[in-house]
Amino acid sequence: MISIDRVSKQFETSRARRHLALSDISLSVARGEFVSILGPSGCGKSTLLYIVGGFVEQSSGAVIVDDNPVTGPGPDRGPVFQEFALFPWKTVLGNVMYGLDQRGMPKDEALARSRELLTMVKLSGYENFYPKELSGGMKQRVAIARTLAYRPNILLMDEPFGALDAHTRTKLQNDLLGIWEKDRKTVLFVTHSVEEAVFLSDRVVMMTSSPGRIKDIIKINLPRPRERAALLLNRRYQDYVVEIEKMMDEQPETRVS
Amino acid sequence: MMADIVSVERAEAPWWSSAGTIPGLPPIMACIGLLALWEVVARWYGLNGLPPASAALPQIPEILTDKESLIDIADSLRRMVTGFALALIFAVPAGLAMGRSKHVAAFFNPLLMVIYPVPKAALMPIIMLWLGVGDASKTLVIFLGVTLPLIYHSYQGSRAVEEKLLWSAAAMGLSAPARLIRIVLPAALPEILVGCRTGLVLALITMVTSEMIARQTGIGNIIFVSLDLGVYDRVYAMIVIIGALGFILDVIFESMRGRLVAWAEPSQAIVVGTT
Amino acid sequence: MSPRVSNTFDMAIGVIPIALLIALWQGIAMSGAAPPSLLPPPGVVFGRFLQQIVSPAYLEHAYVTLYRLFVGFGIAVLAGVTFGILMTGSKAVASIVRPIVRVLAPVPKIALYPAFTLTLGYDDASKIALVIADAMFPILLATYQGALAVEPKLAWSARAAGVSPLKTLFTVILPAAMPSVLTGCRIGLIISCIVVFLAEMITSTDGLGHLLVRAARNFQTVDMFVPLITISILGLLLNAAFNALRRYLLRGFPEEK
Repeated sequence: MISIDRVSKQFETSRARRHLALSDISLSVARGEFVSILGPSGCGKSTLLYIVGGFVEQSSGAVIVDDNPVTGPGPDRGPVFQEFALFPWKTVLGNVMYGLDQRGMPKDEALARSRELLTMVKLSGYENFYPKELSGGMKQRVAIARTLAYRPNILLMDEPFGALDAHTRTKLQNDLLGIWEKDRKTVLFVTHSVEEAVFLSDRVVMMTSSPGRIKDIIKINLPRPRERAALLLNRRYQDYVVEIEKMMDEQPETRVS
Repeated sequence: MMADIVSVERAEAPWWSSAGTIPGLPPIMACIGLLALWEVVARWYGLNGLPPASAALPQIPEILTDKESLIDIADSLRRMVTGFALALIFAVPAGLAMGRSKHVAAFFNPLLMVIYPVPKAALMPIIMLWLGVGDASKTLVIFLGVTLPLIYHSYQGSRAVEEKLLWSAAAMGLSAPARLIRIVLPAALPEILVGCRTGLVLALITMVTSEMIARQTGIGNIIFVSLDLGVYDRVYAMIVIIGALGFILDVIFESMRGRLVAWAEPSQAIVVGTT
Repeated sequence: MSPRVSNTFDMAIGVIPIALLIALWQGIAMSGAAPPSLLPPPGVVFGRFLQQIVSPAYLEHAYVTLYRLFVGFGIAVLAGVTFGILMTGSKAVASIVRPIVRVLAPVPKIALYPAFTLTLGYDDASKIALVIADAMFPILLATYQGALAVEPKLAWSARAAGVSPLKTLFTVILPAAMPSVLTGCRIGLIISCIVVFLAEMITSTDGLGHLLVRAARNFQTVDMFVPLITISILGLLLNAAFNALRRYLLRGFPEEK
């Protein structure tokens, strides 16, 4: 489904200096799989996600999605960003409808689809609000609805709950799993929270930094559908969290470049 | 063009920003391109009022070696510098004070707002009634033209000074006037210099305009004398000289500014202005 | 002081310098230090202003000025915004337009006016051309800089939804840059106002600027003040109207300081 094949990425930090952000990353993600990429800040995990999204070009290697090499963004891969990236000049409804509108879906159909999605993310009644009038959690719900609207097969989530407070964060995690259970899209989920990664994922990809490499991939054998309260008491869950945290501590802290 | 938008390469810079180029070269190429365009258009239309660049440009050395023209140009520049300097002395302290005190700002803001849309160079005929046709009126008009943007930018700069900087300074025992000079002035300097850059362009514009309206001496006068005599080559040569003057002043100022406030974020100043 | 009292206080002290200025004017005129031929008293000037503002002949001149102002400003907005946005979208366009703008922006455009009169004649066209030349650059630069500062993830979100690059440019980057675009337009509007007046003063047979020069030639001091006041009030009104439009267009954007 997604096959990342020996992808490297170099940034030119100045005319003479280069920074190797990603080195020789290979990873396959199966259809319907929920995979988290976990790593310290600056390890290139977001860059990897952007490369899969087609927003950033790799320096070498290839990303194949459904037998097609990625050359640019496309509606088969829907991004959700930490910064929400909502259009401030559009209302909640306008944001969700934007992609459908631009691609020529008839107005009433786009409207119905958008309302359906806003209900799914529990925001019906907020159609005519502007993003600035919403809380962070609500903004991210809108962003998720906007992305789901055009039915991507793959969700690319870039620390989507990173800017939210702890309480909102757990609520959105639960809701995300609830939505995901319905149609089991393929999800690539970038995070630096161990608990979030274990709670959500089928597999956790651990990365080290400078240069960004895959350190280990851990399969999370926890039953689905998962329920947070039960899981917190689950011994296996706790073991995963502790084990991964230990492994994370083994790598040296990186300086922010 | 499509390819340019699609190719997304650097994550840290917006993907649609254009790549860095060799400094200095593109503007020179642009000049050559514009001159070539002028030449072609002039030859194509063959208008009497639009001589080709090849006819106008040779006039430039002649103007620049002609004693009378040089005196005119020197007169203009002297007035410009005087007006600009006077505005600087008056506007910067006024702007800084407005930025640090809400009441001072409230006191001056409505007046400035009312004055803002008045075309300063258009005051020329009235001021000439009062002060005569000499240097005084032209310098005053330049002063008026430059003052407003200078006040505005000093005001913005001083208003944006981080309150905690001043608290720290006060804690160190700096008196209020010392804080204004040692903290507020340097902190607001980048923004003040943005105002200076706009002001400089404005000074040049006001100077040319006022001389065009009150045709006595100066650069603006040379243009209109030539125009009345029908020496169009010379009109265009003067236009090029004024344009070059504007560009050179801006380049000099920018390099100076770059040195003075190397510590600040690169400015995104929009050079604009007319009066 | 409570905020409300303080606001009223601030508004009240703002009137002082304006009142002082008019009082000084009146004082000088009454004291006889300046004869009315040099400085007519304010009452006379405002009386004449009120008389002129309803006179059809005067309004005819004002109309001519407004016509040149709006045609020039309108073209400047169209050209400035279009070039500014295309520069953002295409490196090729940017590499050509940027150096040209760098050279032309600091040039005092009023110096071009004699050339415009020679090539376009002494009528509307030369004045409109001058307004365009003067108002276009601030709009273009503000659009370009605003567009460059747009969060890339806004554009990515659109591209991922399957929106074409060109459409993204005009449906995402342009609206996202709107605060900056409007700032440029407001500067351009005031410049247009001023420059059309000056052009009319330099050579013209009609318009408000011409009225000032005509009055100056005939030493009718009162009539010199009236067009000046008219154009200034016009500038204030246009500015206020523009601010209202800005508030409406930017209703979704977060408040600025």
